[in-house]
Amino acid sequence: MLNGLDIEGNSPLHRMPVRGKLLLLFAAAIALFLLSDLRLLVPALGLSVVLYLSTGIGVGEAVRRTRFALFTVLLVAAANYVFQSPHEGVVVFCRLSTLVLLAAAVTATTSISAFMDEITRLITPLERFGFVRAADVSLAVGLVIRFVPEIFARYGEIAAAHKARGLPVRPLTTLVPLIILTLKDADTIAMAIDARGFRRH
Amino acid sequence: MDIVFSAATVRYGSRTALQSLDLRLSEQRIGVVGLNGSGKTTMARLINGLVKPTAGTVTVGGLDTVGDEQAARGKTGFIFQNPQHQMILPILAEDIAFGLKNRGLGKAEIAGRTEAVLARFGISHLARRRVHELSGGETQLGAIASVLVTGPELLILDEPTNQLDLKNRALIARTIAGLPEQVLVITHDLALIEDFDRVLVFHDGRMAADDRPAEAIRAYREIAAC
Repeated sequence: MLNGLDIEGNSPLHRMPVRGKLLLLFAAAIALFLLSDLRLLVPALGLSVVLYLSTGIGVGEAVRRTRFALFTVLLVAAANYVFQSPHEGVVVFCRLSTLVLLAAAVTATTSISAFMDEITRLITPLERFGFVRAADVSLAVGLVIRFVPEIFARYGEIAAAHKARGLPVRPLTTLVPLIILTLKDADTIAMAIDARGFRRH
Repeated sequence: MDIVFSAATVRYGSRTALQSLDLRLSEQRIGVVGLNGSGKTTMARLINGLVKPTAGTVTVGGLDTVGDEQAARGKTGFIFQNPQHQMILPILAEDIAFGLKNRGLGKAEIAGRTEAVLARFGISHLARRRVHELSGGETQLGAIASVLVTGPELLILDEPTNQLDLKNRALIARTIAGLPEQVLVITHDLALIEDFDRVLVFHDGRMAADDRPAEAIRAYREIAAC
């Protein structure tokens, strides 16, 4: 679901029910992994680009939101290109890029609260068996999406603090404080969830 | 609403965060001051059951914060030192509405209450803004709105003007002054509480003074000077 930031609009995807979008995304994912014919995968990629842009997101924002995921896809595809075959590399690129863009299109047209409501509805039947609490699962999903920008901002602060002290920004020296501070924040957030009465015990 | 502490004590291992507090609060505007680690936040968190007393009891509107935890918590709202941490959903209006969702309300009522509380604090224009992009003052107002939308009788604010510039500090001070709800404010911003009804001073886990603002602030300055 990438960064979970929906944009306002009235495109067909915006008007589509959340459940329909998620089911179609699921079906598309299965179909994409069953297909390896480039005559189908390339048009599918083109269609996903059109669909994503039809949400009204704008090219710049569309690229900004998907560039990290697409860069990772490119790396995976390159590895397949080198170690498997050029055809396999292109197939992997088309398959995964299409999926990323479709997921981004769903993200751009679905509010987090609508997404969480749908997760709650889907999981509620499992509550009968005592496996899960549906509201907790949807809350967890919402929290992950909500706090991704916070974690990036925190990483930026730690990296800036390194530079200000003339220290090189190394993964170990940035990730350890990031994890510790994130866990500390998590305690406060858990307390805030209780304080706001989200979880009824 | 009466908040009653009866020999309320909080210990973390061998450390005593709050020592046998006996207190009844019923004023509309209550300030709490003290040095860092003096027990004031622990005292405030006892009120809405975020911290449980190791000994003694705390009641809010006659409800025990341990025995009637949910009902007691429903009477109080809490704004944390970093209000960003209590905004759970990424869009302000969604976050405000989310607090109402598991209270058995219909969609139309949730939407109506959300719009009303945004309008009450003059932040309707921020409804669709992402919470991590709000300014300090906007975040505080959004957090206050998200808590008051559920209708608590008491609002507890933990250092609400911390890290705000002068303009936003004035905005939050005006907002607090205009709240019809009972308010308890923990702060180092002494000007914020100088016209409150009652001010408590905490020191080393005990209540060191309980007086009108001018006298209590004087007592606090003496403690801080030591």
